[in-house]
Amino acid sequence: MAVSKVVMPKLSEAMETGKIIKWLKKEGDRIEGGDILAEVETDKADVEMEAFGAGVLRKIFVPAGETAPVGSLIGVIAEPNEDIAGLLAGAPAAVAAPAAPGPESRRPEPVASVVPAATGGGRVKASPLAKKIAAQSGVDLRVIQGSGPGGRIVRRDVEAAAAGPVWSAPAAATAPGSEYEDVPLSQMRAIIAKRMPLSKAPVPHFYVASDVAMDRAWDLREALNALEGQPKISVNDLVVRACALALLAHPGVNASFQGEAIRVFHVAHIGIAVALEEGLITPVLRDCHAKSLTQIAVEARDLAERARARKLRASELSGATFSISNLGMFDVAAFSAIINPPEGAILAVGSVRKVPVVDGDAVTVGRRMALTISCDHRVMDGAMGARFLQDVKRLLEAPLRLLV
Amino acid sequence: MAAIRCAQLGLSVAAVEDDRPGGVCLNWGCIPTKALLRNAEVLHLVERAADFGISVGEVRADYAAAVKRSRGVADRMAKGVEFLFRKNKITLVPGRGMLETPTTVLVGAHTIEARAVILATGSEPKSLPGVAIDEQVVISSNGAVRQEHRPASLIVIGAGAVGVEFADVYRAYGTEVTILEALPRLVPIEDEEVSTQLARTFGRRGITIKTGVKVSAITRGGSGAVVETDAGRFEAEQVLMAVGRSAKVKDVGLEALGIAMERGFVRVSPRMETSVKGVYAIGDMAGAPLLAHKAMAEGVVAAEAIAGRDPRPVDYGNVPSCTYCRPQIASIGVSEAKARENGREITVGKFPFTASGKAVALGETEGFVKVVADTATGEILGVHILGPEATEIIHEFVVGRTLEATLEEMIHTIHAHPTLSEAAFEAMLAALGQAIHI
Repeated sequence: MAVSKVVMPKLSEAMETGKIIKWLKKEGDRIEGGDILAEVETDKADVEMEAFGAGVLRKIFVPAGETAPVGSLIGVIAEPNEDIAGLLAGAPAAVAAPAAPGPESRRPEPVASVVPAATGGGRVKASPLAKKIAAQSGVDLRVIQGSGPGGRIVRRDVEAAAAGPVWSAPAAATAPGSEYEDVPLSQMRAIIAKRMPLSKAPVPHFYVASDVAMDRAWDLREALNALEGQPKISVNDLVVRACALALLAHPGVNASFQGEAIRVFHVAHIGIAVALEEGLITPVLRDCHAKSLTQIAVEARDLAERARARKLRASELSGATFSISNLGMFDVAAFSAIINPPEGAILAVGSVRKVPVVDGDAVTVGRRMALTISCDHRVMDGAMGARFLQDVKRLLEAPLRLLV
Repeated sequence: MAAIRCAQLGLSVAAVEDDRPGGVCLNWGCIPTKALLRNAEVLHLVERAADFGISVGEVRADYAAAVKRSRGVADRMAKGVEFLFRKNKITLVPGRGMLETPTTVLVGAHTIEARAVILATGSEPKSLPGVAIDEQVVISSNGAVRQEHRPASLIVIGAGAVGVEFADVYRAYGTEVTILEALPRLVPIEDEEVSTQLARTFGRRGITIKTGVKVSAITRGGSGAVVETDAGRFEAEQVLMAVGRSAKVKDVGLEALGIAMERGFVRVSPRMETSVKGVYAIGDMAGAPLLAHKAMAEGVVAAEAIAGRDPRPVDYGNVPSCTYCRPQIASIGVSEAKARENGREITVGKFPFTASGKAVALGETEGFVKVVADTATGEILGVHILGPEATEIIHEFVVGRTLEATLEEMIHTIHAHPTLSEAAFEAMLAALGQAIHI
């Protein structure tokens, strides 16, 4: 049996470091692949970290409460007779609050230099000094705007961030009678603030909107929910199912811009935006194209609940091929959403509203729902987005097809 | 530099100059003095030839020839600038320029109109109050660099870069040199250890050093001049006034346009623009440090600002300081004392050239490299080098600081062996408690 290195996993797109909340296994415990080793806190959620190798957890390098960069060695799984001396010697230290600076602690810490190398696409351009000061002052380099050449983060940027309100204690300073207060950014808000312009500015969005007659879907949903022992189906579940089927028929929408190619997906992993107190998270419901409406309903509910409890697993936080944002519960007529790169499109779903409908020569009451799709123009064109939306509309208007 | 950069950026450029192009540096300062110092060094080596097993006959050093050579070097460099001006189609207008309006410069009877004006009048040697520089008995660096006569004895007032460089040259040619410095040590802007060791070396070479001395009067008399101080009278054939330089800001038209000043220098923005829009100022007249390389960096910033670029401002915290006496002095950042004063927890690494294989092979083992770094981050706060080619060795630290490299990255840079730069490497290792060769 081989020696398995346990490294800090990349649990979300933006993740660069993770904090070990607690180890669920201790040194000496026997591990099977898939066992939950530890709970890790990321910028988005607390997630469980699974073991990839089998053997004995021989060594834990990063104790609970400490932070390690993505990709850094945090433990070793091996059989008891396996020689792991080489790994023990090269083990990095955690980026913890610095110990009392004695001569020993001045040694170069490999950890700091691991950060950019190990994060691939999410590389942070920062000077070595900026990285060290950031590590020591607990500043997250991902949320800093660099002022050096090419946006490189330099010392003054980190110092400004360390002194700035973003990272101060969350007590908002408000003078009595003041007309405003500065509420410090939560970690999640800060990430959203940094990432959204990275979508809106470089991704050329276009929007296609359509009104869907939801009368039959509404009736179907009521009928299904009246059935004994059936899980409750939401309007959004119907939308997810409709999108999954339509995405398979329109792979051009289920696609991602990759610089020199367009990656077209043959599966529909759908991100479902969930509003939280401190921001927004988009857990991913995988393989929606292969799931029944009931399965989608059960799993989407579970995801949303665990998102609110910050109990999502790593695999549930990334890898969407398409996203849906539904503000229907807020009595929203229509809105448009910002694409979450590298996805190629996102569907914004409004409320199901009762509206007057012209039926022949009479005016009757009908249920209508606005759908707006935001598309990456680098990946697709208007007609492609429109045809997809048309198909989603057709599916929702003839909803029995969602059941088969 | 500013003119050439402007021309490169497609601007139409006229340069007004009442001397030869190249400024103080090329004609009066950096370049001709380096030629003289090289003569002093060659002379020193010839005198030491026996150490290398080479016997030479009687050594005769002709100081006038040294000055002639120095002028030849300056002349060649000035021609180089004139060539670059022609190549870049810069119109050289001989004469003194005077700002008339923010967009017009008066040169004699002619008026030159321009969208923008860069002032770069430079500086001139200062004197002590009540002491006139006649360039006969009381000379400035301007006189010293051109006079073919070598005084038998010389009093140097001021132990900054200019003072110690001329003390070095004249001493090498046999002049009795006395240095008077008001502050407590030689090269007072450098790290204290540098001053201490330079004083020891200069002392061995027969230079008299009086520090903490206040000059009260200079009169003609004795063999030439008599300098009265609170530490007694000093006599010498000539007195070299090396107490600093002041910006040339008179008769430039600054007052009439209301261009703001600050402590005798023109106040400028990070884009090198003065308080009057479209009028820029660079170099010595725009403030300390009065160094040609700072001026050149400012010239580029001004040129790019005028051309509508968005230049990175000059990083005044990272301008190397170099003095070309023997051994050379080079430094960047803050001294050890200043770093402590700033309240930083620091680590200091020092490596003497006596432990450097290359320095021993060269027979130039005086001096050291001293690195002052922040303990927590390894940030390089200051580097102070006294020794052979110090002025060349310093640049790895200047680059490192520009990139915000810390000691950790620096020590993982392989330094070629055997080189003088290895002393820099070892000093950094020493700061981390990991020096190998000491």
